[in-house]
Amino acid sequence: MSRERATGDVRGEVEAPFVVETAGERLVGPAVDLRDRAGPAKRIDPSTVAAAVRSETEGGGDDESDGVAGSESTVVVGCSTPGAVHEHVGLVEPGMGLRIRTALAAAARSRGLSAPQDEELASLRDELTTVEVPAADTATARERLAGTESAVTAARERVAELRGRVETAREAGRDTAALRDELAAAARELSERETERAAAREALDRAERRAREARDARERRRRLGDRAANLERDARAHLVDACREEYAAAVAAVPGSDWSGDGDPFEADPVSAALAIARVATLRAPAVLAVDRFEGPRAAADWLDAPVVRA
Amino acid sequence: MLLVVTYSRGARGSLRNVCRTHEETVIRRFGRVALLRETAFAAFQALRLRAKHGDDVQIERTEPFNEFEAVDGSVREAARAYEDREEPSLPYATFAARSDHPDPGTLRDTEL
Repeated sequence: MSRERATGDVRGEVEAPFVVETAGERLVGPAVDLRDRAGPAKRIDPSTVAAAVRSETEGGGDDESDGVAGSESTVVVGCSTPGAVHEHVGLVEPGMGLRIRTALAAAARSRGLSAPQDEELASLRDELTTVEVPAADTATARERLAGTESAVTAARERVAELRGRVETAREAGRDTAALRDELAAAARELSERETERAAAREALDRAERRAREARDARERRRRLGDRAANLERDARAHLVDACREEYAAAVAAVPGSDWSGDGDPFEADPVSAALAIARVATLRAPAVLAVDRFEGPRAAADWLDAPVVRA
Repeated sequence: MLLVVTYSRGARGSLRNVCRTHEETVIRRFGRVALLRETAFAAFQALRLRAKHGDDVQIERTEPFNEFEAVDGSVREAARAYEDREEPSLPYATFAARSDHPDPGTLRDTEL
């Protein structure tokens, strides 16, 4: 596919200014440099700038501003709402991690590409939201049952013991009235314990029936989730294939890359890969760069064909 | 044995990790299901999974099946005779009706 065609109407957006406001200053894109602005003490962390770019904009327009309070400075970025690809390559800094294929697939989507799996995936995701797993607490019922068996055994032993003592007293010709009262109380206790055990067993049976139904729903949700994950993998592979050549060319052209050019471009260092993917992508919101690969933010914005903040 | 069944991708992944790390505790693993030894350590691992994944982890305790204790001879004989039948496509219900083996309804209503 042709880069010119794919990004043809984006040029205007890149030129469309974004605004960074910090410490009483107002800086206007498409290329903004936040370094050496107010001395090293006031340096704004690049991740703070990226968070300001990504923070939700009320109303979503270009003139809306929103900010993130850093530990020392507050920075507010008014810009277009960043797409999913910004999460991957919207902040390029030394030591960053990058899932190259996932990021490249997001870049393809930012260009409006789609995958043949999209429709089925969307309907699967819809179906997933309709799966309701009923609440089923079995732990309470298990806990309740757990002590009842030993309570019945103890009560039964007590009854047997008292029967023996009543018998012994009668044979010895002693008064058994007090002992018989005790025996009657113990028998009542046993009957109560047995009733409790039966009730606890029944409660657990009921809870387990509900739990089985809940597991059927969980099982259904799991199957749908597995299918969705497989489709996502296939869709990602499709999107990566669609941008593979363009990405390889971009990696080879990244300034300062130590990638030799004959290796696997998917093994490139994360910074080079991120810059290459940002070049392939259509970035509406500014990319925050914390690496020295370009002469300046303007050169970076030109190379990436995207708005840029150097932080 | 402890039977651990998982119902989500995350829970399945955790179960796999537990089984890989504690081979001595695992009797067998089948995909998202595992049979663990009956030890407090296995119970601890199973409960850890449930603490992490909630009801996406089902824990059951199994006991060995003794067919000489759990069912009477008629069931054992019926199983053997049915597997020795001469017509492979004969349904069990018909087979039972032609002989004095227990009918499937009776079997279904009899608990172990």
